[in-house]
Amino acid sequence: MDEVALFPTCLAEEFFPEARDAVLVVLERLRLRVRVVRRAFCCGQPAFNEGFRAPARDLARRLVKSCEPGMPLVVPSGSCTSMIKVFYPELFADDPEMLARVQALRPWVFEFSQFLVDVLKVKYVGARFERTVAYHPSCHLLRELKIREQPRTLLSAVNGIRLVELGDRDECCGFGGLFSVKFPHISGAMLGDKLARIRASGANTVVANDCGCLMQIRGGLHRAGDAIETRHIAEVLAAR
Amino acid sequence: MARSPAKADFFEASRKAVADHELHRKLQSASDRHLDHVDETRAEFPPFESERDTARRIKEESIAHLDELLIELRRRLEENGCSVFFAADAEQARNYIVGVAKKNGLKRAVKGKSMTTEEIGLNRALIEAGLEVTETDLGEYIVQLRGEPPSHIITPAIHLSKEDVGALFAEKLQMPYTAEPEELTAEARKRLRSAFLGADLGITGANFAIAETGTLVVVENEGNGRMSCTLPDTYVAVVGIEKVIPKLADLSHFLEILARTATGQKLTTYTNFINGPRRAGELDGPREVHVVVLDGGRSAMLADPVMREALYCIRCGACLNVCPVYRRVGGHAYGSTYPGPIGSIVSPNLFGSAAGHLPFASTLCGACRDICPVRIDIPRMLLHIRWKESEDETRAIPWPRGAARARSGVVRFARLARHPRVARMLGRIAGAFLRPFARDGFLRRMPPPFNNWTAVRDFPVPRPRVRRDTAQEADSSGRVP
Amino acid sequence: MAEFHKLIARLKTALESPAPSEPHAASSNSAASMPIAPSAQRVELVSGFAREFEAVRGSFLGVLSPEEAAARIASLAREVGARLVAVGEGVTLDAAVFTHALQEGGCAVERFGKLDDGERPAALERLARCDIGIAEAHYAIASTGTFAVVGAPARPNSLTLLPPISVIVVHVERLVLDLAQALGALGPDLVSAHRLSLITGPSRTADIEKRIVLGVHGPKTLYGAIIWPRNG
Repeated sequence: MDEVALFPTCLAEEFFPEARDAVLVVLERLRLRVRVVRRAFCCGQPAFNEGFRAPARDLARRLVKSCEPGMPLVVPSGSCTSMIKVFYPELFADDPEMLARVQALRPWVFEFSQFLVDVLKVKYVGARFERTVAYHPSCHLLRELKIREQPRTLLSAVNGIRLVELGDRDECCGFGGLFSVKFPHISGAMLGDKLARIRASGANTVVANDCGCLMQIRGGLHRAGDAIETRHIAEVLAAR
Repeated sequence: MARSPAKADFFEASRKAVADHELHRKLQSASDRHLDHVDETRAEFPPFESERDTARRIKEESIAHLDELLIELRRRLEENGCSVFFAADAEQARNYIVGVAKKNGLKRAVKGKSMTTEEIGLNRALIEAGLEVTETDLGEYIVQLRGEPPSHIITPAIHLSKEDVGALFAEKLQMPYTAEPEELTAEARKRLRSAFLGADLGITGANFAIAETGTLVVVENEGNGRMSCTLPDTYVAVVGIEKVIPKLADLSHFLEILARTATGQKLTTYTNFINGPRRAGELDGPREVHVVVLDGGRSAMLADPVMREALYCIRCGACLNVCPVYRRVGGHAYGSTYPGPIGSIVSPNLFGSAAGHLPFASTLCGACRDICPVRIDIPRMLLHIRWKESEDETRAIPWPRGAARARSGVVRFARLARHPRVARMLGRIAGAFLRPFARDGFLRRMPPPFNNWTAVRDFPVPRPRVRRDTAQEADSSGRVP
Repeated sequence: MAEFHKLIARLKTALESPAPSEPHAASSNSAASMPIAPSAQRVELVSGFAREFEAVRGSFLGVLSPEEAAARIASLAREVGARLVAVGEGVTLDAAVFTHALQEGGCAVERFGKLDDGERPAALERLARCDIGIAEAHYAIASTGTFAVVGAPARPNSLTLLPPISVIVVHVERLVLDLAQALGALGPDLVSAHRLSLITGPSRTADIEKRIVLGVHGPKTLYGAIIWPRNG
């Protein structure tokens, strides 16, 4: 296998272009040819989670048709990966033709860190990142995809990195997609506690695999005027 | 008579709760202490995972044969001398119990902790019928003195500090103020002991009903459940239809996981087996046992292949303690007998659309599913309910303006995202337009519909770029962009 | 019972919809093995029980012969200044051994027999005034430190509930490993015919700030002993 597809996800395209770039850099350093999926923009999760399946199906259909089973599809987000792997079958439960396509594609879909560790069997990517890092496991990555160790394996192999723990039982950061704007008070309270944990950990950088969490945490840190930085895991792995 | 929450109640109530930092501290510390105990007891018990699977299988099996099991349960209970009443809804259950009280001329009821009796609003019905009703679980006693409902299904007074309880007892029981749990508990013991000895009606729920033996199983720590089913001459148990399990031998699998998850104990202090009235010459037990088996919306859940899973719940309460939303808003904000993740699923089914916002008040983080002793897939069920709510115009629930905007916004976004090129172009335009208002890339304030985002955190200005800024301009395939 | 038939009809209709997951084999029926442990395993069960019983805040009196247990209980009664002690009929033991020791120590002893309904309130009041209640359990569970106490007219269940101090003894041959074994040993017939309580430590609550307080409704102090007769 020397060619992979990359679905950058809408949040990375719009708000975290450096995360998308970093994914490309890391994959290319591992001598892979990367085909970026441009014919789909969003996996459909925001509408799906809010209960609107019809518009979600439109987007899902588009994404599925832009990808081919047989070529790994790398997604730098636990949330979007679980949308495809876990929820697409449910979304197309009544559509046998699409369901068959989804089932054929599913085994080829990988979250970025999962792809590196479980498929490429890579732990060390030659990265150097001399900062104190707290890793925040995003909920879908952890609890839908059960990807717990892979990001930690990759991060702990980075030169110069110092990893610290948040010690908050991997609690949600409060993003939750539309939840963040429908229940801003609850989302904000969860964010507040997450930031307190981050500060208490002594980290100067927070790393996550999901741009949703990063947007929430980065926005909260910026509001507080805090100098702690946020990075997608790919940015850390691309750093030299 | 179940408390049906007013329309936009959850928003208002949760906003108040979130602003209450003291509440937050109490919830966090109590929940964390609970979760630490749970972690410990689970770690010490290697068969825990296989017991979870077994318990889950028994529940699946039991619920799939609920009709047959209830027929057997009824037969066995009646053989044991119990009167069995099947109540289709809360009102029938209340009327039956009030009828029993009137027929026997009962005056003073003592109650063990029972969420099912909360669900049917039993206390108010009994008080209106002229009975004196005393909640005897310490937590329930405390919230009853305060005139509030419990805020947690296992720890009813989790929202109160020892100082709160001290002040309450000083005011209501005219005792000198103390915040010592030992002294407060001793005072409650004294008062409640005389209530037990003077009561003519005992009421509890049940954790399990064993069809094979016609036995109700009541699990508790304090001994008040045991007193309630042992001392008064008339005893009523209110049991949801989903509590039935086939055999005595099945019980151990549930007991091995229930306390470990509910309180972090291996077993609760008391596991009481109740199978009928006292026999001739016996000191213990009631003269009459009435078992009220409640449907109350449960058969509707049974009919729904996804919602059916909610009937596997053994009410351990752990999903509340682990839920990031519950931990911030507390139980009362939910406005339902059953708060927290499992409550957000059963409440709309038991109490109707008034609880319609609850299934949306979750980030779908999945912590509840991970801790659930019978592995109920709560996030999946929340999604399922959201689909029903959002796609059925007739069920439409009223949303506050900001939330309604967000909901229509997400649909508009999905339509736009069908056209990736247009979406990217609009992103570039928005970025260019917003940049002058930003400070180092962030906006502090935004107009609706984005103001709910900037209410609590800054908004990063979109920075879409088609080409990479790095030296490797195009990707290796050369096909893109 | 029209409501019952309506409910069953509702359930039958509801159950016609597809089940959420694969149907599974019939529920387990494992724990029916005979629980009596050979002597070699007893020591292990005893030490396991003692450890778990202490962990739930029980006070373990030790492995004693009936006579030693009686003497130990009599001296306990003296220590706490007990005047009235309730003694239930034994399961394997003759409770007279406890009664005599207590009476020799100056305690009045309350025993139980068949009651008329009219005598019940007074009998309950008397039991509630007792300083100590003494009962023999049918079984004890080593892995959880639990006593399984089965009620009978001469051995009322409230003996282990109303007095502030509770003493429960169990014969060493009735010590089983876990809950499943205990339920298997008790069996459906006994469970449907008697009042059964599993007792794991003294009454407790954690309702105020999750702080554990003992003796909220039931006994504040629970003593446990394992009876191992000298010739046994």
